[in-house]
Amino acid sequence: MRALYLLLLLSISAAWADGQEILPFDDDSKRKLYQELTQQLRCPQCQNQNISESNAVVSIDMREKTYELVQQGFSKQEVIEYMVDRYGYFVHYSPPLNALTIMLWVLPVLALLFMLLFMLRRKKQQQQLTTSNAPLEQELNAIIDAYRSKK
Amino acid sequence: MRNWMLYTPLAIFLGVSIFLFTGLFSDPWTRDSALLNRPLPEFDLPDLMEPERRWNRELLTGEPFLLSVWGVWCPTCKAQLAYMEQLKEQGIKVVGLYYPLPVDPAFGEHFSLGQLQRDVRQQLQQFGDPYQFNILDENRRMSMDLGVSGSPETFLVDAEGRVRMHHVGDINPRVWRQKFEPAMEQLQSLADTSVQQNEASQTGVGY
Repeated sequence: MRALYLLLLLSISAAWADGQEILPFDDDSKRKLYQELTQQLRCPQCQNQNISESNAVVSIDMREKTYELVQQGFSKQEVIEYMVDRYGYFVHYSPPLNALTIMLWVLPVLALLFMLLFMLRRKKQQQQLTTSNAPLEQELNAIIDAYRSKK
Repeated sequence: MRNWMLYTPLAIFLGVSIFLFTGLFSDPWTRDSALLNRPLPEFDLPDLMEPERRWNRELLTGEPFLLSVWGVWCPTCKAQLAYMEQLKEQGIKVVGLYYPLPVDPAFGEHFSLGQLQRDVRQQLQQFGDPYQFNILDENRRMSMDLGVSGSPETFLVDAEGRVRMHHVGDINPRVWRQKFEPAMEQLQSLADTSVQQNEASQTGVGY
């Protein structure tokens, strides 16, 4: 009897979990594409949520539209372009490479190069310091010796 | 050489400080619309109050106007009605694009045009009616084509039907004076001169 109850409970909870959003897809690749896109498209109404997480009206509409376009056979890039065309680059989580965003990629590399140059230069200077001081060192040694011999 | 090295950290610190300081006052909601300087998207939608009457892009050209996206469910839209009515009295054409909330039949919700019309009429009577007419964006597809993310949002559209400005948030005296008024005046003077030119050329042909 207990086993029966458990089984019933299990089947009910599974049905609930499935009941969140049932969208019939033509094939699994389209389902995958839809899931990928709703993860990568950004809700324009909320700060930093993708449209699969958000329940804002605009996200619901965008999910519907994404589903519609995916079912119509749009490729990933085409769906992204459709949304960017309306909501701007803000709507996609990976920004395109252009004059404004190139700094994001170039600045860290430049900083790294700068630091490497700085380190190399410093090492060289230190080496120069030790080698160029050989005569001075001799002189100092002579003074120390003289001092010691006096004692 | 030494001096230069000494001041580099200070310069970097100041640069970062200024960058972050300006960030404190920037508004994450202001983004340039993707529709800017592009024609209004094609649409064919019913009038909210007389649903047998339909509106499309061509019917909206001729003079610059404000396209105001709103809904009775949106408190900020309600708050801006009185001020926008003043704008209407100053001779600004305001067209409403009604943005209905989605209804979910699974929760027993159904769309009722009659109820909506009653709600709209009541709210406009109570708080002010700036609208020449309202277009009902049934499935919010027009709003999506316009890149609307919520309401209220307002577009400034020129006489040729091109989007000239997109404002997210309410229309208040400050926003109007700083943002819309200069652009609106420019568009209206442009529209007036083109009308005069048309009239002049027509009379010219007539003679």
